[in-house]
Amino acid sequence: MSSKEKVYYNDIELMVVSASRVLEDKKTVVVGTGIPMVAALLAKKLHAPNLILIFEAGGIGPEMFTFPLSVGDSRTTFRALKTSDMPEVFEMCQSGMVDYAFLGGAQVDMYGNINSTVIGDYYAPKVRLPGSGGANAFASLAWRTLIIMKHEKRRFVERVDFITSPGYLDGPGAREKIGLPPGTGPYRVFTDKGIFDFDEKTKRMRLMALNPGVTVDDIIANTGFELIIPKKVREVEPPTLEELKTLREEVDPHRIIIGRR
Amino acid sequence: MKEKSSRVRAIKEIEVLDIGDGDYQPKTTPDEFRRFIYEHKSKAMVDKRMDVRTAVKKFIKNGVSIAIGGCSFVRLPMAVVHEMIRQNVKNLTMVAGTRTFDLNLLLDNGCIKHLEIGYIVGMEVFGIPRLTRKKVEDAIARGELTINEWDNASMAWRHKAAGMGLPFLPVRNMMGSDGFRRSGGIKIRCPFTGEELVLVPAIYTDVAVVHVHEADIYGNCRIYGAINEDWGKMRGAKRLIITTERIIDTDEIRREPEKTFLPYFYVDAVVEVPYGAHPTNMPKMYYLDIDHIKEYMNASRDPSGKALKEYYEKYIFGVDSFEEYLEKIGGKEKLKYLEDLERQRKNVDGEH
Repeated sequence: MSSKEKVYYNDIELMVVSASRVLEDKKTVVVGTGIPMVAALLAKKLHAPNLILIFEAGGIGPEMFTFPLSVGDSRTTFRALKTSDMPEVFEMCQSGMVDYAFLGGAQVDMYGNINSTVIGDYYAPKVRLPGSGGANAFASLAWRTLIIMKHEKRRFVERVDFITSPGYLDGPGAREKIGLPPGTGPYRVFTDKGIFDFDEKTKRMRLMALNPGVTVDDIIANTGFELIIPKKVREVEPPTLEELKTLREEVDPHRIIIGRR
Repeated sequence: MKEKSSRVRAIKEIEVLDIGDGDYQPKTTPDEFRRFIYEHKSKAMVDKRMDVRTAVKKFIKNGVSIAIGGCSFVRLPMAVVHEMIRQNVKNLTMVAGTRTFDLNLLLDNGCIKHLEIGYIVGMEVFGIPRLTRKKVEDAIARGELTINEWDNASMAWRHKAAGMGLPFLPVRNMMGSDGFRRSGGIKIRCPFTGEELVLVPAIYTDVAVVHVHEADIYGNCRIYGAINEDWGKMRGAKRLIITTERIIDTDEIRREPEKTFLPYFYVDAVVEVPYGAHPTNMPKMYYLDIDHIKEYMNASRDPSGKALKEYYEKYIFGVDSFEEYLEKIGGKEKLKYLEDLERQRKNVDGEH
């Protein structure tokens, strides 16, 4: 790197930037509301100009300037290829047209199962959350699911309170056994502490890279289940000035997502 | 008897593999729906215009099942939602994928008894209104609100099945989730391919309400932008109310029939309500009113409920009509600002 200038960024900016880097050009991605929208749009603006963003309300392939506040607002159809509807978008997923699903959640477990429905008992909820939205179908039917969420012990749990969106369920072969399309499932998890993938054999979550300044011990202390920790773990490249500038000035200029505490 | 072919044998052996515990509503069958349409839907080309008060009184009675068009923060028929709250409609069964502001207002005011739903209480990037969430949690615990948990895809396909006149559609998601357990889905093995499928029941509602861009006085209507599940919702409803930004001439409809979203004979009421989706986004017309949504979110933060009560007094109970409400939110000046946001796409297309 040529610039020696110290670059400042917060946890959410780091998480968004590291997630955006995994999205490849010339692929399709269905995008959940909030943080995934910001990361997907950032990717499209930088290294993946031909990334096709798809929104469940019917926006297909928009070229929006600023991230949308809702999965259906008119930014999701700005300079789009088509305005469509929910059945068509989910049918695209079902027929194998969608490469990536990009989702958030409230809890995740070692197999990448996501809860966005309820904390506590379903019938006596401690916290009622919105529920699936499009997430269940996205995680069931897209080829690869990307998960992005804050890394806290109460979120990275041994068992999620409710499986809203299926990961690898209870281990290898479980998705196929229950009838989900073969070859699908969680691919990466991005947090403010690092990047995680899933071990081929066990389908368990594995530490892949540490965010700058984060130690393996930090990760273990903030994870409520046993992660696979390889002997050598690389460090995530910090956000570049270009990434941060695009993120702050174009994608989320009002800091609606990246300004969250 | 001739030996049965292996194909026939396979079809006779359709296996039910699993059944969700959640049941489903409403229970109207395709034949009942067909009969209703045949007996009650006039195909006469008559002027169906009425005011919002009359439309709600006539078609949205206590206890009906209802589907609301638009989704999330887009094209919600807010004038009708306000009027439902003013008329104190109760015990509704609401069916939908993603609902936000419309459902939250109805939940705050105790209008909903049962939900078949994909996404509730959330306001997407704006968070979750505190008092609505509390109310929902308490109502679930007391058994006053029941929910069958679905997701946006299964709900979209349930609406689509109704639009197709079918009793169900087979789908490939929901397996392995707790949502399947809380739903009324039935898992089977496909008699053709052997793959496992979830059957999701069609939704034939008593009434649907959809806000559209343009309609003539008979109900021929046009919608621009993302369509959500409206195609199935509108065709699967016994009664259909449309609110429209403006009334256009039937000649205009006939000149460009490719723009028609739905022909008039599906429609029972046409209500002209300019800015009728405020504070949500009407594609190509006005953007969402972020200030107003934040005002509501803040009101819901006051644990005493006083601020939320004031919100409802000011904007719904204290006004007689949606026009009066539009004055309260800032009138022409505010609406022009929202139109400019949408038209110029400030911060949207790089022209800033």
